[in-house]
Amino acid sequence: MVDGRVAGSFRDPAGFVFTREGVLYRQVNPRFAEHYDHLMSSGLYQALTDAGLLVRHEEVDVAAHADDAHRVLRPAIVEFISFPYEWCPGQLRDAALATLQAQQLALNHGMSLRDASAFNVQFVASRPVLIDTLSFEILPQGQPWVAYRQFCQHFLAPLALASSVDARLLRLLGVHLDGVPLDLAAALLPGRSRLQPGLAVHLHAHARSQRRHADDAGRAGAGKGDNKVGTKDAPRFSEQAFRGLIDSLTTAVRKQAWEPGESAWRDYYAAKESYSDEAMASKEELVAKFVGELQPRSVWDLGANTGRFSWLAARAGASVVALEMDPSAVEVSWRQVVAGEAPAVLPLVMDLANPSPGLGWGSAERPSLSQRGPADLALALALIHHLAIANNVPLTHVAAWLATLCQWLVLEWVPKDDPMVRRLLASRQDVFDDYCEQGLQDALSGWFDVVQREPVHGSQRTLYLLRRR
Amino acid sequence: MRKSGSRLAWTIWFTLCLSLLVVPAANAYIDPGSGSLIFQVVVGAAMAMSLGVKVFWRRITGFFSRRSR
Repeated sequence: MVDGRVAGSFRDPAGFVFTREGVLYRQVNPRFAEHYDHLMSSGLYQALTDAGLLVRHEEVDVAAHADDAHRVLRPAIVEFISFPYEWCPGQLRDAALATLQAQQLALNHGMSLRDASAFNVQFVASRPVLIDTLSFEILPQGQPWVAYRQFCQHFLAPLALASSVDARLLRLLGVHLDGVPLDLAAALLPGRSRLQPGLAVHLHAHARSQRRHADDAGRAGAGKGDNKVGTKDAPRFSEQAFRGLIDSLTTAVRKQAWEPGESAWRDYYAAKESYSDEAMASKEELVAKFVGELQPRSVWDLGANTGRFSWLAARAGASVVALEMDPSAVEVSWRQVVAGEAPAVLPLVMDLANPSPGLGWGSAERPSLSQRGPADLALALALIHHLAIANNVPLTHVAAWLATLCQWLVLEWVPKDDPMVRRLLASRQDVFDDYCEQGLQDALSGWFDVVQREPVHGSQRTLYLLRRR
Repeated sequence: MRKSGSRLAWTIWFTLCLSLLVVPAANAYIDPGSGSLIFQVVVGAAMAMSLGVKVFWRRITGFFSRRSR
C-alpha cells in the first residue's frame, strides 16, 4: 500500500481516506464537523455498529493529511475490498437491505444517508457493512431523499435486471459506475415488470420523471438559487413520506429474489465426472497439508466453484476470497456462508480470463484484482485447462499472470488425457502442442520455484506447491 | 370547465417543479437529479399513506394474534 490519499476518495468534500505507514485513516473536514459530531452524540453510531451495519472506528490523535481536520479516524480494516460488479445477486440484495436498514436507523436518530452507493458497502465475515462513516448527515427537514436516484441506480435497477432478465447483467455495474441508468434498466426489463408495484413506481415511473425533467436543473440554475425543497414556499416532504419511501424501497428490494439456475458447474462435484472419491480425498488431504504448513493469512481460490477448497483454507484460519465466473455457483456459495453452513469466505463473480481491471477516474478509482493483492496463497485447482485450452492462453502467460497474484501457489496440473480436458477438446481442433507437464514446468520456471510436487491419487492429476521468486 | 381544470393542474405541476429545481441539501455532493426529487414529492403522499395503512394493519393483526395466544 503506497502512503497518501486513497485513489477512490476524492468526490466528497466532507472528508477522505488516506494511508500513513501502512495504516488506513479517514479525515473528517471541518465543514462536516456538525454532522459527524451528531452521528457520534445522537447514539446513531452506537446503534449502527451494534447492528453490524457500519464499520467501527476510533478517533486518533495523528496529524491531518491535508489542511485542517476536525477529526482523524482509524476505521477497522476490511480484509478484502470487493466491488458491486463482482457480486452475485444475493450479495447486492443484502447490501441494498443493509443500506435501507441503516437509513431507517438514521431517521430514528434525526439523520439521513446523503449517498447510497453500493461501493460504500463491503462484506465483513459475510455481513454487509457500510464503510463510509461520513455518509450520515443531520436530516434536512422537509426535503426528499438526496440519494434516492443513486439507490435506485446502484441497487434496485441491477437487482430487477438480475431477477427478471439475467444475473449476468450485474456486470453492467462495472460499465456504469454510478449505477445502471434507469432509462436503460426500464428498456431492458420485460413488460411484466410494470406489474410489480415497486418496479412500476421506483424504476419505470421514476425513469419517466427523470426523462421529463432532464433539462430542468440547467434552467433553474439561472435564477432561483434559494428556492429549495423544504423552504417555506416549497412543498414539504414529510418524515412520514420519507419513511414510506424507505419502506416501499425495502419491499421492492425484497421482491427481487433470484434463484440460481441449473448450471453445469454447480453440479460439478456431485456429478463426479472428473474425480473419484479417492481422488477428491487425496486432493483435499494435499491442499489441507499445504495450507497447514504455510498458515497463510490471505488466500485467493481461483476458479472456486461453490467453494469446497475455500472452506478448507478458511477453516485453517485464512481470510479467503473465492473467485468464480458462474453467478449460480457464487450465489449458492454465498447462501451457504450466510446460513452458517460454510465458513465465512467471500465468494465473488470473476472471469479469470478477464479479471476486474482498474476502473473509474484515471483507471485508479476502483483497483484491479491484482492491485488488491498479492494474496499470501492462491489456489489454482482444476483451473489451468480452462485458461490454457478453453481460453487459448499460453502456459507462459498463465504463469506470468499467476505470479502477479500471490506469494505462494498451489496449482493442479490437469493432463490432456483427463476426462475434463478431453471434453474441452471434443468439439475443436487440438492446437495445444505445448500443453504438457514439461511445458507447464518450463512456463513456471520463470516465476516460481517448485517446493513440492504430489500426485493426486486415483487420477492423473498432479498438485504443485510453488513459491514466488 | 374541463379545460380550466387541466390548466390548473398544469399550473400546480409547473409550480411544484419550479420549487424543486435546485440541489436541496447543503451537504449534498452527489447529484440528486431534479426528476428524482420531483418524483419523490409527487409520490410522497401515497408512500406516507401506504406506510400508515401498513402500520395500522400490523397493529390490528398484532392485537388479534396476542389475544389468540
